[in-house]
Amino acid sequence: MGRLAGRGQRSAQALAGAAVALLVLPFLGACQPRRDPARLIVASRNRIDTVDPAGAYTVGAMQLLSAIGDPLYAIGTDGRIEPRLATGLPRISADGLRIQVSLRRGVRFHDGTPFNAAAMVFTLERFLAIGKLSYLIGDRVVSVRATGSHSIELRLRRPFGAVSQLLSAINLTPLSPTAYRNHARRQLSDRFIGTGPYRLSFFTPQQQRLEPFAGYWGRPPANRGLDLVALSNSTALFGALQSGEVDGLLSTSLELDHQAALAQQARRGLLRQATGPALEIGYLTLLTDQPPLNDVRLRRALALSLDRRRLVERVSQGLNLPLRGLVPPVLPAGTPEPWPAYNPQQARRLYRQAGYCAGRQLPLELTFRSNIPSDRLFALTWQALLQRDLGDCVTLAVQGMESTTAYRQLGDGAFQLIVLDWMGDFPDADNYLMPVLGCDKASGNRCLQGASAASGSFWTRPGLEAELRRSASLSGAPRLALLRRIQRQTAAASPYLPLWQVQPRIWVRADLDQPRFDGSGRVLLQELRRP
Amino acid sequence: MSRANRLLRYVGARLALAPVMLWLLASLVFLLLRLAPGDPIDALLGTRAPEAARAALRAQLGLDQPLLQQYGHFLVGLLQGDLGTSLTNQQPVRAVIGQTLPASLELGVVALLLAAAVGLAVGFSGIARAESRWDLGARLYGIGTYALPSFWLAMMAQLVFAVWLGWLPVGGRFPPTLLPPSGTGFYLLDSLGDGLLHGQWQNLLGSLRHLLLPAGTLAVLLSGIFANALRLNLRRAMDSDYVEAARSRGLSERRLILRHALPNALLPVLTITGITVASLIGGALLIEVTFSWPGVAARLQEAIAQRDYPLVQGIVVVVAALVVMVTVAVDVLLAWLDPRLEF
Repeated sequence: MGRLAGRGQRSAQALAGAAVALLVLPFLGACQPRRDPARLIVASRNRIDTVDPAGAYTVGAMQLLSAIGDPLYAIGTDGRIEPRLATGLPRISADGLRIQVSLRRGVRFHDGTPFNAAAMVFTLERFLAIGKLSYLIGDRVVSVRATGSHSIELRLRRPFGAVSQLLSAINLTPLSPTAYRNHARRQLSDRFIGTGPYRLSFFTPQQQRLEPFAGYWGRPPANRGLDLVALSNSTALFGALQSGEVDGLLSTSLELDHQAALAQQARRGLLRQATGPALEIGYLTLLTDQPPLNDVRLRRALALSLDRRRLVERVSQGLNLPLRGLVPPVLPAGTPEPWPAYNPQQARRLYRQAGYCAGRQLPLELTFRSNIPSDRLFALTWQALLQRDLGDCVTLAVQGMESTTAYRQLGDGAFQLIVLDWMGDFPDADNYLMPVLGCDKASGNRCLQGASAASGSFWTRPGLEAELRRSASLSGAPRLALLRRIQRQTAAASPYLPLWQVQPRIWVRADLDQPRFDGSGRVLLQELRRP
Repeated sequence: MSRANRLLRYVGARLALAPVMLWLLASLVFLLLRLAPGDPIDALLGTRAPEAARAALRAQLGLDQPLLQQYGHFLVGLLQGDLGTSLTNQQPVRAVIGQTLPASLELGVVALLLAAAVGLAVGFSGIARAESRWDLGARLYGIGTYALPSFWLAMMAQLVFAVWLGWLPVGGRFPPTLLPPSGTGFYLLDSLGDGLLHGQWQNLLGSLRHLLLPAGTLAVLLSGIFANALRLNLRRAMDSDYVEAARSRGLSERRLILRHALPNALLPVLTITGITVASLIGGALLIEVTFSWPGVAARLQEAIAQRDYPLVQGIVVVVAALVVMVTVAVDVLLAWLDPRLEF
């Protein structure tokens, strides 16, 4: 075996050689491609399957579209409506059914095609025909036509007071009729020809390259271009910002531990952090048409059993904000928040009135989406808090279910209590109330068909649908008053329990300027800059 | 019948059975997807879309047709080589597979080569001195790497080499500051071509930097299998009668190993390689997800979450077809190398 031993030594030498090969790694590290400091890399977990506004529906796609497209109206950083491709606020006819919008002149698409009324009509009709979110305007707009070279008219089914907010939806960003000639009725997933400050020069679901558009009508971008990259896990994203591989990081789908650590670094001045308006809400849906939660006393008792401040602190390490309304407080009609604050004494009285606490516990089952970590944390934390504070009155069993599976069963009334979230497609109260309270067919307080049934609550009350429709047609103070009343009455019945509001965040390296969000919760990417 | 003819008949039978197997598999996937809870419309529109909008999208995507009709369309398309259109972005499934499969194959091939090199070297060194420190080390290496959770090793590698040391990127397949090379979809080959033809070596360097961490991690995980397999089979061969007989005839140890023991010990290793290649064709999910590697496994996982029926069906059928081809090829290779095998 002597020669074998010699062979073993040679193998050892080979292994040592392999170990030495590890020294190549630093060399490779040193050979990083040279980066233009004025071009920035922004990372997120947002894989983007399609850049076609007719097919896009994810937060990441909307963020991208807001950089390469322009809406007719935008919500400014102060929450006010600002005309972008429109020249002024829409003019509404006396009957509220015709909306005139004048369009900006001198705007060109990325392919040089002039932007005009025909292009806007082409875009809106295309969206109505093939848009995945076509119900956004399909429910409200009957037709659209050009009334001049740079003015359009929308004919509505019924008056709608928040039409400017509706037209701020980035899915309605105009598309070049020339570029989309062959895609008038089908999607174009990997290219985009719009009017935005950037043009999309390269697209894959994991990476998008944005170049400043030289012919942009507005203020040119402050950077020399952006690369948006998607990494598939939170740890990698966190690491990429720490190592300087990327310049900015969006909070969407980033795990809360990582968000908390980044926020901590921002407080120490190691990073810059910006937060946007909290337009995403988390809430509980209660099954109101079956025992035991068909008893309004128990629903109210549950509403009083939610220690939101503690839950938010435990679940999101204080990053989310407690919420006691279905409409986010940043929106008009979002305040005052009508759901009751935590009050275990009052909750106990209601449980007692319903026949519980005196040696009898109310058994409830809470379902959470197993693929969303914060939902699981919430379920377990609330379970423990209830056990501690009201354990003699109520017991909570928790079960996880993958989100797509859960969504399928919502309308079947499969869940006594389920944690869900929502972010409106455009920032208006109507977008938060109608999708949970709308009801096409009802029997007393039970919704048989419509949004309330589809969302798993089945709650309604006589006259609610009419009030919701009336609120949509009003504007100004009368609308706000009606929306607040609807919320108060809904809170009294507690078919839903608002939990928290989520602020979008971005962290950038400390050598970049402070970033900003617009009123729709999107980062103003064109303002990102390394001084 | 001669052995060559028997082999031909065996290969013919395997290839003839392949379409039947693929049909069964495709039908099973088609059925299971529809039986699974969840709805692509929910995945696309969420829970808040009005029923009318949901019905319209269902009709637009052809999901309102009877199941049998959908199955018929699927099979006819499959026979014509049309795998359908992705529900999420309306791209042809073939195009999506064309973008993701090369990424998985590139990662798998490089990892396999690295794993074979390291694993065989470790396994070979282990038999040099039975029960020595080297042997113990080789055994521990084999067991340890085989037992390591892949996600843990991947995250540790990411943390050390990308975040702490900053030597390599944390994820992705190509530097975002460069445009990926066009061509076959195998970035390493395409970048090499760019380097040779146009002198653009930065593409090759970029590809290598991004490939090294995921491929290296996967290689470490796989190398233990090779190390153990070679060590055990070589030890068995060295203890066998024919090696003893050869030794008694005065053959050198070098000749004993290289000429007599090693070829026999490598046959089971070849079988293991075939199985490993077949499993890597479908991608290494945890590695792809951890390193944000845009491969077919990660895409399949997303497609399942989105209930993108055509995409899931397409990926499964294509991967299954490739696995069949690889296993037949390995069988033929083994039959050619090992005259003892009967058919």
